[in-house]
Amino acid sequence: MKKQLIMLRVNGESCELAVEPQRTLLEALREDLGLTGAKEACGTGECGACTVLIDGKPILSCLTLAIEAQGKEITTIEGLAQGSELHPLQKAFIQHGAIQCGYCASGMILNAKSILDETPKPTRDEILKGLEGNLCRCTGYNKILEAIMAASMGKD
Amino acid sequence: MEELSFVGKSVPRKDGAEKATGKALFTVDMVLPGMLWGKILRSPYPHAKILRIDTSRAERLPGVKAVIAGKDTLGIKHGFVETPRYAPDQYPLAMDRVRYIGEEVAAVAAIDEYVAEEALSLIQVDYEELPAVFDPEEAMKPEAPEIHPSHPKVKEPYKNIGGKTESGWGDVEKGFAESFLVREDRFDGQLRTHCYMEPQATLASFDFSRKLNVWTSSQGPFIKRAKLATTLGLPFSKVRVLKAYVGGAYGGKIDLFSHEFCASLLSIKAQRPVKIVCTREEVFEAARHGQPIFVELKTGVKKDGTLVAQQVKVINNSGGYRGSGVVVIFLCWGFVMLCYRIPNLKYEGYSVYTNNPVRAPQRGHGAPNLRFAVESQMDMIAEELGIDPVEIRLKNARQKGDILPNQDPVRNCGLVECIEKVAETTQFKAKYGRNRSLPRAKIRKGIGMGVSSYFSGSLIYPNASAAIVKLNDDGTVSLITGALDIGQGAETILSQIVAEELGVSMEDIRVVAADTENTPVDIGSWISGGAYVSGNAVKLAASDARRQLFEVAAQELEANPEDLVVKNREISVKDSPGRSISFTQAVAASIAKRRGNPIIGQGHYRTMKDVPAHPSLATTKGRWSDNYAFDAQVAEVEVYTETGQVKLVKATTAHDCGFPINPLIVEGQIDGQVSMAQGHALWEEVLMKEGETLTNSFIDYKIPCAKDMVESHYVDIITEKYEKDIPYRTKEVGEGYVSGMVAAIANAVYDATGVRVKTLPILPEKILMGLRKKGDS
Repeated sequence: MKKQLIMLRVNGESCELAVEPQRTLLEALREDLGLTGAKEACGTGECGACTVLIDGKPILSCLTLAIEAQGKEITTIEGLAQGSELHPLQKAFIQHGAIQCGYCASGMILNAKSILDETPKPTRDEILKGLEGNLCRCTGYNKILEAIMAASMGKD
Repeated sequence: MEELSFVGKSVPRKDGAEKATGKALFTVDMVLPGMLWGKILRSPYPHAKILRIDTSRAERLPGVKAVIAGKDTLGIKHGFVETPRYAPDQYPLAMDRVRYIGEEVAAVAAIDEYVAEEALSLIQVDYEELPAVFDPEEAMKPEAPEIHPSHPKVKEPYKNIGGKTESGWGDVEKGFAESFLVREDRFDGQLRTHCYMEPQATLASFDFSRKLNVWTSSQGPFIKRAKLATTLGLPFSKVRVLKAYVGGAYGGKIDLFSHEFCASLLSIKAQRPVKIVCTREEVFEAARHGQPIFVELKTGVKKDGTLVAQQVKVINNSGGYRGSGVVVIFLCWGFVMLCYRIPNLKYEGYSVYTNNPVRAPQRGHGAPNLRFAVESQMDMIAEELGIDPVEIRLKNARQKGDILPNQDPVRNCGLVECIEKVAETTQFKAKYGRNRSLPRAKIRKGIGMGVSSYFSGSLIYPNASAAIVKLNDDGTVSLITGALDIGQGAETILSQIVAEELGVSMEDIRVVAADTENTPVDIGSWISGGAYVSGNAVKLAASDARRQLFEVAAQELEANPEDLVVKNREISVKDSPGRSISFTQAVAASIAKRRGNPIIGQGHYRTMKDVPAHPSLATTKGRWSDNYAFDAQVAEVEVYTETGQVKLVKATTAHDCGFPINPLIVEGQIDGQVSMAQGHALWEEVLMKEGETLTNSFIDYKIPCAKDMVESHYVDIITEKYEKDIPYRTKEVGEGYVSGMVAAIANAVYDATGVRVKTLPILPEKILMGLRKKGDS
């Protein structure tokens, strides 16, 4: 299919790229822009590893077309830290042992950010419900919950 | 005792920032210039002869750069086990016959995934279908279709026997005759799968020096190198397997996989890098699942619950090739004999070929299923005898100083303490049986216990680990290790050991890891020996570096090496403030005055130093491991009697892993295993129909999600210690020793409902049926 020229705004920068209309945002981010932090684990919207934020809301980039994301503010895991200063959630994930293999981490952290942006002091159940779409096979979610609770209380 | 600064502390992961920022590169993220995409053509039949493969149309498709089928390979077989008894039995690409749906038949490399996909559709394969068999007990019958000839050393007239393990001691018949109570039960495990989040993926690049460079999502580069080199007919030195981050494995990425071979051969053929990333569907349908095993268990006990005799038969459904089938039937023997003292035992295990996809180890490799059987029956026996579950376990528990039947000494064993402490912490005795006197409730609470044990490293290729600890000019340290961090924290705990031995901070250590060309050999992250074997190799390398540093420092400071202490990259004379030398100065002095010696420490370690090889898979004879880890776990559940649903509310693990090098990592390993046990016990199952996988997505195969999170508690039982300069004996923590949880859940469900489920998973309908049968719903 014929490629279209699109403009994406990713992590505060504008990027122009030519994509086929069926190209997913995940493919565009990973393969065209080299932002490989978002991961594919299923490709069918079941696992949450490809989660990125569009206008602050978590979306599954494997089910979103790149052309749909035009004109919106896309945040990937690469855009979360301020220079070398990690986001409090990133610090908390490291500090609390919430990362093991790390494959789900970028989606998990971005989703956690959207939970805290919406509900700064979430309950345990609100966090777990919010993370329901992000699968992790390593941690059993215990340390992830601890990390997000700690970040919500302003602790590392 | 000297206070430790790093070992034993909950130090955050060394690779945490890289992973938290999305910068960690996994195999799926790797890209090389000129890279092609590979795709694999798979068998649509469970059992068929290959009559003809015509790849010519695919080869002519523009954009296709290489096509391979069995005829393009050397026809060298491989196997998870490669011994004289168990010769390799699987071609990396099928030659003349396919034995399961999904078996790899051909592969293409093309300029992109779409062209590669189209090329697959142009490959013509003519098959002649053969009769197939899927159930292991059906496959054993004389009239079953033959998938492979039965192993020549198996005497029974069974068909399709890939291997057999036979072991025992004493006289079970006499034991049963003398027993007060004898129980016979059968417990069936289900087919489960790993669900590592990173799919199987490989990038292979054959370079101009005719060397093959491979990045692959695995559990250790050295075994991959060996198997790739052998099947490709290349010298080991011409295959280099390099580190990439690994997105989970849990046993499912150990063996050689066809996509690794295909990416390599396609790269050799196309003279360009080739990457193959399996889709999730392919992973579910054709990659290896765990081992489903059936356990027939006959147990005789005295009136007081003391074990007298046990007879165990294990049947494994290995799929179309052996895979790890002949290992799991050996291991199940071990998981029977480790936890309890059994005076008379008869054990037999059969690994049976069927026309299903091949099976791999999955975390615990048989232990969760085997312990489910033993621990369930233990509770049944206890109930019949009117003894409580804690007492019967204490009565039979393995103890320190025991010599195992294979002559392994149990040097340290905290099992009794684990059982006592976990019972105490959970108020087990007060809670157990509390529902039985209560009126029928919609939600019933139950509590159950399970115990388990696991070996900590054994002798399987590459058998040993070595390490290099190198001082740098700026006083920092490089740790060069072959260990691969698959999420379990290998690089972190090994760095903690270096930090402890050398008195440097975690930040001062740079890790170079898992590269078959540039790092020394490592046993791999799949034999439960990382902390023990690789850890000791690193410890020796670090203390070798420290010894050299101290020699130089002693000379420079005019002191005795014994009087020196080290902290913060500085060596000083004990009780002499001001007499000190920095690492930077020491390295410079060593180079200047010791013929250029830049200070490089080396270490190597092997479990069971005087033992030549792994015990016999056939007879279990021979030493197995130096260290055994033990645990006792308690599950607390709520059962909804209207729906039959079970909620695992709380899991408590009392564990003897020797000592935790990093308690935070140990807790993470326990949590992960509790979560896997929850799925294993309650709902996970790969459903297959005539060799076809029906559950091929995360929707159909549900793994625990955040809302299923189980409250997890830990009780540390410390039985070993870490001292500078002395090899330590810590134990494994990553897989089998918390395999008591599946049994604990099953026992808790029984406690809540009186329904004993002997076939996993414990689905709601099984509980409802059980309740109805009892007239209790």
